[in-house]
Amino acid sequence: MDAVAIRDVCKSFGEVRAVNNLNMTVPAGSIYGFLGPNGAGKTTTIRMIMNILRPDSGQIALLGDHSVEQTKSRIGYMPEERGLYRKMTVRKVLTYFGAIKDVPPVELTRRVPQWLERLDLAKWADKKVEELSRGMHQKLQFAVTAINEPELLILDEPFSGLDPLNTDMLESIVLEMRSQGKTVIFSTHVMHEAEKLCDSILLINKGRAILDDSLANVRSQQRSHAVCLELEGDTDFVSGLANVTKVKSEGSQLEITLEESADSQELLRSLMEHTRVHSFELKVPSLHEIFVDLVGKSDAEGS
Amino acid sequence: MQKVLKVAQREYIETVKTKTFIFMILMLPVMILLIVYFAGKLKDSGSADRPSLKVAVTDLSGSDQFRTQIEASFEKHNTDNPGRKVELQESQATEEQEKERLRRGELDVYIVLDKDVLEETGKMHVYTHKAKPPVIEALWTVESPLRDAVFKQRCKEHELSPDLVRSLRNLPIERMETGSTGGQDRVQSEGDRVVKMMIPFFFMYLLFIGILTMGQQMLSSIIEEKNSRVIEVLLSAVSPFELMAGKILGLVSVGLTVVLLWGVSACAAAGWQGLNLDIGPVILTYFILYYVLAFFMFGSFMVGIGPICNTIKETQSLLKPVIIMCVVPIIAWQNIIRDANGTLARVLSFFPLTTPMVMILRLSSGAEIWIVEILGSIVLLAASVLGGVWVAARVFRTGILMYGKRPGLREVGRWLKQA
Repeated sequence: MDAVAIRDVCKSFGEVRAVNNLNMTVPAGSIYGFLGPNGAGKTTTIRMIMNILRPDSGQIALLGDHSVEQTKSRIGYMPEERGLYRKMTVRKVLTYFGAIKDVPPVELTRRVPQWLERLDLAKWADKKVEELSRGMHQKLQFAVTAINEPELLILDEPFSGLDPLNTDMLESIVLEMRSQGKTVIFSTHVMHEAEKLCDSILLINKGRAILDDSLANVRSQQRSHAVCLELEGDTDFVSGLANVTKVKSEGSQLEITLEESADSQELLRSLMEHTRVHSFELKVPSLHEIFVDLVGKSDAEGS
Repeated sequence: MQKVLKVAQREYIETVKTKTFIFMILMLPVMILLIVYFAGKLKDSGSADRPSLKVAVTDLSGSDQFRTQIEASFEKHNTDNPGRKVELQESQATEEQEKERLRRGELDVYIVLDKDVLEETGKMHVYTHKAKPPVIEALWTVESPLRDAVFKQRCKEHELSPDLVRSLRNLPIERMETGSTGGQDRVQSEGDRVVKMMIPFFFMYLLFIGILTMGQQMLSSIIEEKNSRVIEVLLSAVSPFELMAGKILGLVSVGLTVVLLWGVSACAAAGWQGLNLDIGPVILTYFILYYVLAFFMFGSFMVGIGPICNTIKETQSLLKPVIIMCVVPIIAWQNIIRDANGTLARVLSFFPLTTPMVMILRLSSGAEIWIVEILGSIVLLAASVLGGVWVAARVFRTGILMYGKRPGLREVGRWLKQA
């Protein structure tokens, strides 16, 4: 069963096409990165998933059910615009949101202190929300999202505004949730977060999907043709080798770009014929580079 | 439904808990009690230390005998009312000079008696200059001794005994209320009559205050949720309709709490003062029905207004027309109870915004109201509640996530068309 299935969804605001024929399938039990530059349509898509906005056309199914209202208590959603009742105490806010997400009262008396403890908020339980710092507010927001122990978590920019310690804390909770078989979707434009956590990613730009695959596939297919080398002695001969298109040297390090069809093993063999090789590393493109590359290409096509 | 109740519960508790709400709830009864208490106190003591009024009298009839009569009359007044003394000053100067003294503040009141004042055609002229309320309120302390002096002097000239004339005019009145069976007649006190007059107004005003309180709380709650961006988190747990229904339910309960607390404390205060309210159970049932329906109707209006605005200030301008409609019965209340089946009363009964208040006035005025009219107005109110909720649900759903510029009427109209 897919946690989320989106079919041919479109949404326009006036003249602007925010989401254009988007398809998206999130397998259950995975962490799914929803990536894209600012204004790509990430938040609009998430709001449609949550039935806060209605799509102009297309279909959305959550946890195998077409009626989001029925499944709301099985979902946790953390919007990009954070907000909680400022005049209520931390404990009451958490209890209230648990209650409207259909968590039984008995269960709440157990879970609320547990979550506060886990997020280092126990000391603040009886303080008003407005007294919290931004980071603590963010953590409380996460607790509100997770209080119903949802099968599906949708987090819109979950790590913005958090210090590295708290980021690690939330990341470990997210990973733990996956190990419990839960599905997590999170949107971000910070690529190294996605790289660290995601099983699959969907990259969208201008409301269209431009990449939708598992992270492993993305990496292998988007393999660049660059090699990093460290050689003994004179390295001038390298630029004369077959299939080498570009050589960039940085001290003893060389960065070589090969022709697209070339095999890096061939290069290694011919290098070894000339000299001793200290290090040879195939350069794996970072998600960051893939992002910049693909978004740049799609922008160029669009214009 | 579970979720609606939970939203309503939070809405109710968070509203009732605020300091401003508690203050407002307590303020009115405390104020009424204080006024009742001190009014009683003041009447008892008669307040001893009010400054005496400085008065000069120019008597154009020029009779020495009359002059003595006037002085005697003021003296009697001063002994009878030690807290309200009048200081009669000798007046030898001309009228203009006296008026000048009045302007300089040396006199509080200046009186000129016409030459023919003792012959039933003359007048008493009472001059004041930029008089302050205490002086205006105390004018009787000057006028009635003088009237008394004139009366006595006239009697003397006609050779009549003032006491005889007075006793001939005397006819005591006793106002009675017959009980529902014979032998239960009881004397109506002045208080009873005031209460009778004020009951319709009180019940209507209670509704008005309840609506205002509820409306204000409702709008500030919506604006707070909008501004703190909590709305999206809420919508991830409940549907917009559940959220709206919860809000209406919670705040209608707030409105009813206000009405209940004040209604009960007013009845208790009336009982304490020995006043008889006397409202039948049938009328009371109608009242409750009108109150509940009115709160639901205004609640759904407010819930439709809130999401369109971004600040409390913006809500005020949209709220104004609603409040003006509520003020109409407050202005016209005397006309409505005087002629409870007149055209004005009937027309206003079938205009939804004024229906509840006007019907409460008419029912409590004691007039016989055609039952079809009562039922018709209830059906109309119920229909307005449904219509209000229908419109509000559409506005709420779209407006609640809108930030920035306030949408115009046309834009809101478009929201209504969207299913």
